[in-house]
Amino acid sequence: MADRQLTTVLTQLKTNPPYAEASALLSRAKLLLLQLNALTPTPATPAAVLALARATYEQGALASIRAKNADAFTRYVAQLQPFYELCGGGGGGGAGPGGPGAEQNKITGLYLLLLLTQGRYGEFHSELEALATKGGSAEADRYLGYPIRLERWLMEGSYDRVWKAMMKKGEVPCEEFGVFSEILTFQIRSEIASSSERAYPSLPLSSTKSLLFLDSEGAVVEFARSRGWIVRDGHIFFPTAQDAGDEGEQDKEMSQMVIENTLGYARQLETIV
Amino acid sequence: MPGKTPDKEPVENGGYRGGKDIDMKDKDLKPKGKKADDEMTVVVPPSKASKQSSAPPPNDAEGDVAMDDAEKTGDGEVKVDPVVQTINDIKSNFALLDRAVALFDARFSLRALRSISSIRKRLTPDILAQAISETYTSSSPGAGDAKKLLLAIGRSDVSLGRQPGPEMEIDSEPKASGKNGAKKEPKEVIPEIDIFLAILTQVALHDSKQFQQGFEFSQYLVDRVRSLNRRTLDSLAAKAYFYYSLFAEQLAPLPPSPRSPIVSIRPTLLAALRTAVLRKDVDTQASVIVLLLRNYLLTSHIAQADLLVSHTQFPENAANNQVARFLYYLGRTRAIQLRYTEAHEHLTAATRKAPSSACALGFSHSATKLLLVVELLMGDIPDRATFRQPNMETALQPYLLLVQAVRVGNLGDFETVIAEHADTFGRDGTYTLILRLRQNVIKTGIRMMSLSYSRISLRDICIRLHLGSEESAEYIVAKAIRDGVIEATLDRERGFMKSKEVGDVYATREPGEAFHDRIRACLALHDESVKAMRFPMNQHRLELKNAQEAREREREMAKEIQEGDLDEDDLGGEFEGM
Repeated sequence: MADRQLTTVLTQLKTNPPYAEASALLSRAKLLLLQLNALTPTPATPAAVLALARATYEQGALASIRAKNADAFTRYVAQLQPFYELCGGGGGGGAGPGGPGAEQNKITGLYLLLLLTQGRYGEFHSELEALATKGGSAEADRYLGYPIRLERWLMEGSYDRVWKAMMKKGEVPCEEFGVFSEILTFQIRSEIASSSERAYPSLPLSSTKSLLFLDSEGAVVEFARSRGWIVRDGHIFFPTAQDAGDEGEQDKEMSQMVIENTLGYARQLETIV
Repeated sequence: MPGKTPDKEPVENGGYRGGKDIDMKDKDLKPKGKKADDEMTVVVPPSKASKQSSAPPPNDAEGDVAMDDAEKTGDGEVKVDPVVQTINDIKSNFALLDRAVALFDARFSLRALRSISSIRKRLTPDILAQAISETYTSSSPGAGDAKKLLLAIGRSDVSLGRQPGPEMEIDSEPKASGKNGAKKEPKEVIPEIDIFLAILTQVALHDSKQFQQGFEFSQYLVDRVRSLNRRTLDSLAAKAYFYYSLFAEQLAPLPPSPRSPIVSIRPTLLAALRTAVLRKDVDTQASVIVLLLRNYLLTSHIAQADLLVSHTQFPENAANNQVARFLYYLGRTRAIQLRYTEAHEHLTAATRKAPSSACALGFSHSATKLLLVVELLMGDIPDRATFRQPNMETALQPYLLLVQAVRVGNLGDFETVIAEHADTFGRDGTYTLILRLRQNVIKTGIRMMSLSYSRISLRDICIRLHLGSEESAEYIVAKAIRDGVIEATLDRERGFMKSKEVGDVYATREPGEAFHDRIRACLALHDESVKAMRFPMNQHRLELKNAQEAREREREMAKEIQEGDLDEDDLGGEFEGM
């Protein structure tokens, strides 16, 4: 009974309805899951129901990504985790990881990307480690490889590759991944800006446009203003930090540290001798 | 020890003299060796045993103790049958356990546990069965448990209450009377002995690779241990849990699979941890925390491991080997979470705490490998001497190549090393960490460029570092400048990098900081050694007494001075003398 209703709800969900409609459908699906006693998985849950429940959560996760609701997405991912563990690794779980028809890699890939955009690198790598021990090369996977490559490029600083990967049609594995491109663009732009401040004495306006992946020189000027840069004679000059004052302070700090350390040694010597 | 008899003196002293020392080394022998088996998959139990026996006994603290035991039990015996000798050895431990209960001193049970490693080599189900049947009588209350033990080793046909053979009688008689007074015949089997025999059963099952049986038996044993609330049982319980988890690891769906039995034993271990904390059972607490951490890391549940660490407190006075392992697992967790500084600290401590004897080589290897990778990730180049240590050289070979590639900053070499040794790195669990090194290689490369050239075009950088394009090179160099890797500026119009003059290192605070670090390490070492020192009991009372006497003498002197008996000269002399 309930499982048949659930199947119809799921087919409706898979047609990508608008978020409000989707969330209504999802709450109905969850109620049905509750009737089936499959809201949280146990080894005793029949496989068919398990697959249904998993599909429901997966649809929920995708819907919340489309609605850019990061918190809801994280919640769905957390709920999916036990399903994947129960289905994956078991004998005869099916063709792909996470059982047949599962979109585990897609969800995990999206989650990785989310962690990346939020700067939660520690969790990103924890997740990666888990993927590595599950076997199979994560990098070769279409969905998983994308965030992994992005992270590597971000870390080493090849921002142009990140940019290309986001902008080229064929590179982005599916539309849900595109949601993050805006955040990522903003992120790399500010990264580039902060490194440019230190690396260049000055920059010509025209080439700054391509450097920052902006569309026009007007946008460059606007961006420069927002960062507090000085635009003069078609060049951008970066305000230099007050070095002199800093140094004096540092000196003072250093001598204080030396005094502190020496006093510390003296005290320790006293206790030893 | 208030009631000790003179003939036991040397043994006692032996316990005191090297107490702490022996503790560390021997207790490490078995479990660390074990870990070598699991993690390295190079050393299998039998060969490990042979390695242990080939170790020169005089240098080995454990050898000392074993020899003591042998002298004790082998009194007056010229030729000893190995079977009888083993049974005797097992039984001699009962006396230790008895004493541990009577005197409420955990050190005796530790010594009994320590001797397992020497017994282990000779242990067979038959010997064990005989020992069991001689310990229990069919009418004693422990008979049911004994039957279980026999069943577990597949010798259920052996009857209980067998009388020891004639040659046993000879040496067990004086031993028993020497140790426990006249408490021989109507001896009730204390739970400690019970559990000790059960642990031996676990060992026997493990060595004969009967993992399924061992696991079932361990489950029963762990339940039983939990139902007994005796402080003298703590160290034994810790061991029982250790083998319990070891068996679970060996069972069918092997660890990385989420269906492995190790997942199912987590509730038991967590319950054990809670009980241990409530009972202030430090041994079990430390050992179960370590087991849980290992458990989580085996299935890559990093987040859970992290939560476990943040919600529990590792007991401060845990055994050294447990501390070393805890630090290793903690370091591993932190390394995965990109908290390299902490990881480095923990792993350094772990490698230093690892026993230097050959038996724990596997642990040292794993810890050192991880430490090397973490050092590289932090941007340091590990010491060349690490790779020259004779017992590490071959194991660390791939890592040496890796370090060389990183040091030079050659991306091509780096990638070949990874491709060639991917299997080794994967097995060591360092592969994902090593993949992160790519950026470090690039950074080192850029630093080398900036040191060698005062001005270099971006195209050259791109070619030398095998980067994708000039644009990539520009971004990468800019990032390196921002991160403080190099001191340089970029010229976008003409497309080159210009290095700034490098200042004198000795004008900065760096040498001072390095010096400070070293001093701090030395001071910490001093403090720790003071803490680790063991003082004879009641010694301070003696000193108090002396002080009391001195005070009395002083008072007398003061009295004499008052009465004018003492000359001024005398007094002056006294002061000079002082």
